[in-house]
Amino acid sequence: MSPDLLIALLTGAALLGVGIYGALSQTNLVMIMMGVELILAGALVNLVAFWRFLHPDNYAGQMFVLIVMTVMALEMAVGFGVAIARFRARGSVEMEEARELQG
Amino acid sequence: MAVITLQTFFIAGFGLAAIGFGVAVFRTSSMMRSALALLFSQTALGAMFLAMQVEFLGVLQIMMMATEMSIMAIFMVMFMMDPGGLGAMEMTHQKRLSILAGVVGTLFIAGIALFTSWGAVIATAPPAAQQTHDLGIELLGRSMLIFETAGVTILTAMIAATAIALPSLQRNPHHEP
Repeated sequence: MSPDLLIALLTGAALLGVGIYGALSQTNLVMIMMGVELILAGALVNLVAFWRFLHPDNYAGQMFVLIVMTVMALEMAVGFGVAIARFRARGSVEMEEARELQG
Repeated sequence: MAVITLQTFFIAGFGLAAIGFGVAVFRTSSMMRSALALLFSQTALGAMFLAMQVEFLGVLQIMMMATEMSIMAIFMVMFMMDPGGLGAMEMTHQKRLSILAGVVGTLFIAGIALFTSWGAVIATAPPAAQQTHDLGIELLGRSMLIFETAGVTILTAMIAATAIALPSLQRNPHHEP
């Protein structure tokens, strides 16, 4: 296997792991969103590597990358909307204080 | 051969920088530093795309993330009780479970990356201008419906986010428009 492809895939795996740690361990909503951003960044690097090293002739691969970037922007927009609503209602975006949302 | 080695060196370097800054996001108690570390991590990823000769997406990644993380830094200052991290507040929970989940996730995906036969690797990438041209044709051709759907979804999310963020009239009965 090409070392470049392997390096890119391992980078994606490491970013996914760091993102999972951040999303699960942080108590602040904005920090949790940062973890999710890192998880999506891991997916992004994998998709770019697959397109570049395996299928550079098929541009649907780049299309996938654009979709993941869109998802990143959507996550930020909706997440900040929720953060503002939460801050207005409770004066905090600490998720430890959001136990009443539990089903 | 020397060019390929240099390319591998830069891909690995930027990849390590992206991981290092990603870890730094959760290791500092200053929220501003966290936001900046995430910005540097995403920028290193964009530079990694450039090193992989995926120019358009590399530049797009750097531009998008620079804007996104700047906004995130502003929100950090607005919403955090201690944005400078001077109080060294503990803002984590279930640390052991989180570390375990992160390590297991990384090992699982790394295992898949290592032990899968990915087939023949194509060494040469299309030229940058050709990539941009062909992506444009793809966006306005076969993938147009997906592209348009993404655009409409962004618009919907913008409206939804604004609607959520507006103060509720029910909560403020004395509110006068």
